[in-house]
Amino acid sequence: MSQTLSGGVQHPAIIAVAIGYFVVVALISVWATRRTKTAKDFFVAGHGIGLVALTVASVSTSVSGFAFIGGPGLIYTIGLGAMYIVLPASVTNVMGAWVLAKRMRLLGEARGLMTIPDAIGARYRSPAAQGLSGVAILIGILGYMATNALAMGVVIDAIFGVGLGWGIWVGMGVTLAYSVAGGILAGIYVDVFQGTLMAAASVLVFLAVLKVGGGLAGISTSILAHDPSFLSPWGKITPLAALSFFFVFGMGSLGQPQGVHKYYMLKDPLQLRWYPLLKTLGLILVLLLYFGVGVGVKSLVARGALTPLSAPDAATPTFLLRFTPVLLAALVFSGVAAATMSAVNSFINIAAAVVTHDLPIALGRKPRNELAWGRISTAVLAVAAALLAQLSGSMVAFLGIFGWGLFACTLVPALAIGLNWEGATKEGAIASIVTGLGVTLTFETLNYFKAYTFPTGVTVSGLSLVLSILVFFGVSWLTRVRAQAGIDPDVRLVMSV
Amino acid sequence: MAKRFALALLLAAALAIAAAYASAFLPGGAPSWAPWPMALGIPAALVGVMVLGASRDGRVGRLAIPFAFSALVLGGGFAAALALPATEAPGVPLYLGLPLRAAVVLYGIGLFPIVVLPIAYALTFSEQTLNADDIERVRLAGLEWARGRDAGAPPSAAARPSTPEVIPAAPGART
Repeated sequence: MSQTLSGGVQHPAIIAVAIGYFVVVALISVWATRRTKTAKDFFVAGHGIGLVALTVASVSTSVSGFAFIGGPGLIYTIGLGAMYIVLPASVTNVMGAWVLAKRMRLLGEARGLMTIPDAIGARYRSPAAQGLSGVAILIGILGYMATNALAMGVVIDAIFGVGLGWGIWVGMGVTLAYSVAGGILAGIYVDVFQGTLMAAASVLVFLAVLKVGGGLAGISTSILAHDPSFLSPWGKITPLAALSFFFVFGMGSLGQPQGVHKYYMLKDPLQLRWYPLLKTLGLILVLLLYFGVGVGVKSLVARGALTPLSAPDAATPTFLLRFTPVLLAALVFSGVAAATMSAVNSFINIAAAVVTHDLPIALGRKPRNELAWGRISTAVLAVAAALLAQLSGSMVAFLGIFGWGLFACTLVPALAIGLNWEGATKEGAIASIVTGLGVTLTFETLNYFKAYTFPTGVTVSGLSLVLSILVFFGVSWLTRVRAQAGIDPDVRLVMSV
Repeated sequence: MAKRFALALLLAAALAIAAAYASAFLPGGAPSWAPWPMALGIPAALVGVMVLGASRDGRVGRLAIPFAFSALVLGGGFAAALALPATEAPGVPLYLGLPLRAAVVLYGIGLFPIVVLPIAYALTFSEQTLNADDIERVRLAGLEWARGRDAGAPPSAAARPSTPEVIPAAPGART
């Protein structure tokens, strides 16, 4: 019999661990609130986070609840093809360090910048580009926050049995409390706490998978006897579809605001030296569960030790409740709740910065009292996301689909390539952002309403990313006479070191 | 030079990936060659953007070796997965617990670059990425920009506070 989260996982030990989690989160919030005195503290932790804390928090933000519930379920369904979502992690962290970390951190050093649209505005001397990128981020975040609010509701309902509606509001209430009070500082240290526990839990679950499955060779042997295509390098999807995953999650990582924004926060820029190595190792540990449970459960089903799952998302809950000590299961379930909360905190903070900082600048107004307005915006955005999650039914899934792709196609060309290429122009940046927004929103909407579907192997996110890159190059080339004049000397220096 | 190479590589990669996607719209769906431009375009795009980010004074120096290695591992891994015959079946030899093609992808593409790239980044950090002098120069340039703006030069979109703060020297900066 398989166990889904929506079927409930109530158990005294699981409830106790979850309550313990929330108590620790509350204590961290109180501590962070006392240290949050300015907008810079609220949005970028005062540029004062150390290397280890930033690394663990960054790992934690990179893996949402999807890595523990949806991801293993996806592997169970489509085999190794689902690994192309996480395989780029071997390259993306160091790529982000080379392409963005230094330049973002130095822009923070030179101008005290706080947001990603800030960097785009400074690079192109363009409030329009800053505002447009802010709008793109807001649209993407709206979907992400609503889906995470819903996921939070599902997990909290599963643990405490309070019902989905209450689950959403309890989860959002806890997240809101620490987001409003302690801003990103609370978020960072909650992430450190949660990320550490999740890495430990992931390793322990992986070891449990190997023990139950008879090692990786035993797992493979069981699967090959029943379903060999599961272990083909593309799993059950086409090579084009698998490679498309790799492209979107590899190249697209350079446009994810929850990761890129953190570059501003590092206390000492020279500590970037070890950041990619530590983050990559941390990610590998956390992702062991993603791979292990996915193939492990498939092997258990193949050899008849488990009945086929009622739903792919049942893979992790079923394995944990059947094959691991209840304390470890409790740790993972609470960790999933905490992961969704940390994702919401991170996104709320970025969205609040767009509303209180970037959009006023784009409209030609000077942001005032950003700390107070940041807190107010945070509360309003959180309530809006919870309402959206509760009221919009299946539309929430639609909103969540395009978040990653939208960030990728609107930010990778203008930010990641633009900060490294003096030949890029503001016209190219604006055109690429508009292209990304237009293509993604149009085709995801058509796809959702089944009015038009791309052929097998083509994803909206992949196509919009490659189109926005080509438009960026093309328009920048057409307007190249203005390229050099459009860069301030300090920004030029940041781009050249 | 390195930047031009990186931009050319990135553009060629984007065109190759676009061609792969475009081929899927042909009558009858994606042809059998469709994954190849994608498999070669992705490593080119990733390595191209890394070279773009890492180049300094038009050079990538010792980083050329890890970049070439990455291109080889990623491109070779994808190519091997596409070109090797599908042998996944009961009783086939396993390599570190996986059938050959899966092992090439998971261990080659998923793990090999970790051993090389972040370490190359750390080892070349001071010479190729960032040092205390760089930070100091950027700080001074930022202050200069703020002074110019306060004195009436055209403002840019994003700005530090109008009264420049006294910024402490970077750890290890030469004074």
